[in-house]
Amino acid sequence: MNAEMLLALRDPAGVPSHPLVFLLLGVLTFALHVAAVQVMLGSGALVLAGAFRADPRWRRLAAAMLATSKIAVSVAIVIGVAPLLFVQVVYDPFWYTSNVLSAWWVIGFIAILIAGYSAMYGFYWLNDDLRARAGRHGWLMVASLALLLLVGWIMHVLSYQMLWPELWKEWYAPGGTVDAAGRTLHAYSASRFGFFIALSLPVTGAWLVAVRRYLLGAKEADAGYLTLLQRLAQRLLLGGGALAVLLGTAWMATLPEKMAWFVGSLPMVLAAAMLVLTVLMPFALGRRLDQGFWGYGVFGLGAVALIVVAAAREWLRYVTLMGAHGYDALSYRVQFDAYSTVTFFVTFAVVGGVVLGWLLTVAWQAGQTRGVYTPSPAVARMGRWSIGLIVLWIAHYFAVGAYVMVR
Amino acid sequence: MDLIGLYPTWFEPGVGSGWIVGIIATIHVLASHTSVGAAVFFAGLAVYAHRAGKPEYLEFIRRYGLFLLVFSYVIGSITGPGIWYSTTVASPRGISALIHSFVWKWATEWVFFVIEVVGVYMLVYLAGKVDRKTHLNIALVFGLAGYTTMLVIIGILSFMMWPGQPEWFAEGGYLNGFYGANTWAQLALRTAFMLTMTAVVGGIVASRFADADFKRRVLRLLAGLGIVATLAGALLQRWYLATLPETAQVVLENRLPAGYGTAMATVLVATLAYFAWTWLQPRRTTMALASSMTVGLLVLGLWPGETARESIRKPYVAGQYVYSNQVIARDVPGMGVKSELPALEAHGFLKLHPFAPDGLRSVHDGSLLEAGRFLALTTCSNCHSLTTTGMRPLARYFGGNTEVPALADYLKAALSTGNTMYMPTIPLQDDEAEALATYIAHLADPKAAQAWIDGRARQTATAVTPSSEQGAPR
Repeated sequence: MNAEMLLALRDPAGVPSHPLVFLLLGVLTFALHVAAVQVMLGSGALVLAGAFRADPRWRRLAAAMLATSKIAVSVAIVIGVAPLLFVQVVYDPFWYTSNVLSAWWVIGFIAILIAGYSAMYGFYWLNDDLRARAGRHGWLMVASLALLLLVGWIMHVLSYQMLWPELWKEWYAPGGTVDAAGRTLHAYSASRFGFFIALSLPVTGAWLVAVRRYLLGAKEADAGYLTLLQRLAQRLLLGGGALAVLLGTAWMATLPEKMAWFVGSLPMVLAAAMLVLTVLMPFALGRRLDQGFWGYGVFGLGAVALIVVAAAREWLRYVTLMGAHGYDALSYRVQFDAYSTVTFFVTFAVVGGVVLGWLLTVAWQAGQTRGVYTPSPAVARMGRWSIGLIVLWIAHYFAVGAYVMVR
Repeated sequence: MDLIGLYPTWFEPGVGSGWIVGIIATIHVLASHTSVGAAVFFAGLAVYAHRAGKPEYLEFIRRYGLFLLVFSYVIGSITGPGIWYSTTVASPRGISALIHSFVWKWATEWVFFVIEVVGVYMLVYLAGKVDRKTHLNIALVFGLAGYTTMLVIIGILSFMMWPGQPEWFAEGGYLNGFYGANTWAQLALRTAFMLTMTAVVGGIVASRFADADFKRRVLRLLAGLGIVATLAGALLQRWYLATLPETAQVVLENRLPAGYGTAMATVLVATLAYFAWTWLQPRRTTMALASSMTVGLLVLGLWPGETARESIRKPYVAGQYVYSNQVIARDVPGMGVKSELPALEAHGFLKLHPFAPDGLRSVHDGSLLEAGRFLALTTCSNCHSLTTTGMRPLARYFGGNTEVPALADYLKAALSTGNTMYMPTIPLQDDEAEALATYIAHLADPKAAQAWIDGRARQTATAVTPSSEQGAPR
């Protein structure tokens, strides 16, 4: 596929804002999505590590991690919708072709994800008292993690196939005969996939550091449990971090020729440096980890590191497609639409900011309160604003609609 | 000669890609409407529990909310993008047209979606752990955010049928595409359906109430709501149908299965009968019965509805400018979109399709059948199965005819001119029509098609041999 063919596949309607906006939002939301995925996988693995032990502290951890993993699945799905949306806007020729060429796996993704999520719920329903007794039916949790890894693999392949337009025609019509079944996964990079999966270990380590800090704030009485969390977090950060670096190195060493320029580039170096900084942060902080908000800082820095990793990943894609294939994602024709652009950003910043800010504040403070939680006047006011803002949004929807109909 | 933006085609030989989209869409509508219905019911139950001082119902919300809300939410939230996935592989340019016009609206919906999902967990997990007012506010935010996601998606669904304002074609613009008479009718119709769902799903929950008096009161309240909402939905359906474009009306009258009207009337009567039963026999309304009725009514009611919605926008798949076979068939100057039909009339699919194998760019004896198959995949298979099973098998439309010239003449007369109702204009070159006709003949009788190809090859050889001999060295 040459540049002329790739450009022909672009949607003729253009994009409603500058393509850079979609690229940036894609990076940001991909980072958040992948963070949720990594917490989901890491906490799921800890369920398997702790649920069947005699040690009640391990089983307490397994129960907490099961709740975490369960919620992380839905957070990963919900946040994952956004990068899925944005990739279609500026990389539509690549995303759609890759999907069609492996169509059965795209459909399978949905069924496998539902099965994986259901298996986790099955394990939860059969083990709602993990703190009291050892887990049963562990195969459900194993199946769940295996299926979730499989959907991750499918998504990896779909993203990776985007980078090989020179092979698309051969994949679609091997030997000149069209194969429209879409039953094949055509290209993958095991080390690239392994790197992103291995990151779930240090990310979960950083998550445990934050959990420990949260429990300290809630006046946790079981010092042994806090020690377990601390030891485990350190091991996950260091051991998992080392594994991620190893697989990242393998990924860089096996980059195909057209992507080899990425090795040693500034985005790659920055991403690696941020990951190493995150892993080392708790050790550098020492006892300060238990003071102020430093305990949450490790996960915060980890989130920033993931954004940098996501940006480096995007840079690799953008430059490869432009350099080797002549497709400049930023040259997409802009068919600017002011109303919908402004509506999104105002909704995102104002409605999303206030309502989610209020919900998360309540969740946070209620979790740290013994007995029934009653919000402060300021938090209660945020709740009223939240309702008011959504009502205002709905009113604006009808008002604008009425204007369009009668003008 | 510019290429046109056609993607590869995915063809599922068993049931057809269209049905896969339909199945996933039906599951999604089932899950998402169930969750919205459950959300409304649980919000009401939370209000009652707090006002009446009945904490046992908060515990009830925690236990059953986890299943009904979270599970249906996650199934709904997987199958929602699942519709994207399935339409991506079945109709990439259709979904692309929607994405590129409405990306910011979908992103806006996403904000409310995130609020909803955070809200559902808090409603369930914080039941009894936060004060009454906070819990009620969470329920309210949750319900409002859920309804807002519906407000957003409605306009996009309507655009699939017909852009909101006719000015959209000339002026473009999100607002012109989003708001129209069909948007409002569909919103009203789906709101009624959502309330019907509230009554149905609420029945599943209320059937578990241990307090017989409370169970009776709740079930009767839900039955009343269900009857009103169902009847309102039936009336609003008429408004909805009145807002459809003329082409859709023609399809409705001529192309839907004969039993469609009867099936929908049966579902309506069965729904009303179910609510009447729960009104009269609340004590005998069990969870198994309520759950079975929910799934049965939804599947029987939703599947024909989704099929009809899919059918009545044909031959278009989005905005009355993207054909179901992915060709852009209309100028939309407001969006800078140009019809691809003139280019196809001039050069044909095989020359302009970016994914046509090089060996099929021209039709000759060796490529005739495969070129025909490629054309069938590209221009027909979105709506017509190329096997004997699945959606509207192509071979059935030609009565077993294997006369290639007659088939080619028919294709040129009926499709290339665009004179067939419900069908897109398919501008075929003469050699493309022959190739497609050969493939259609092959579907009916492979030997007959091969005989045609062999005869053609003999003719070619006869025509070529003298000139070859003239040029050969002596």
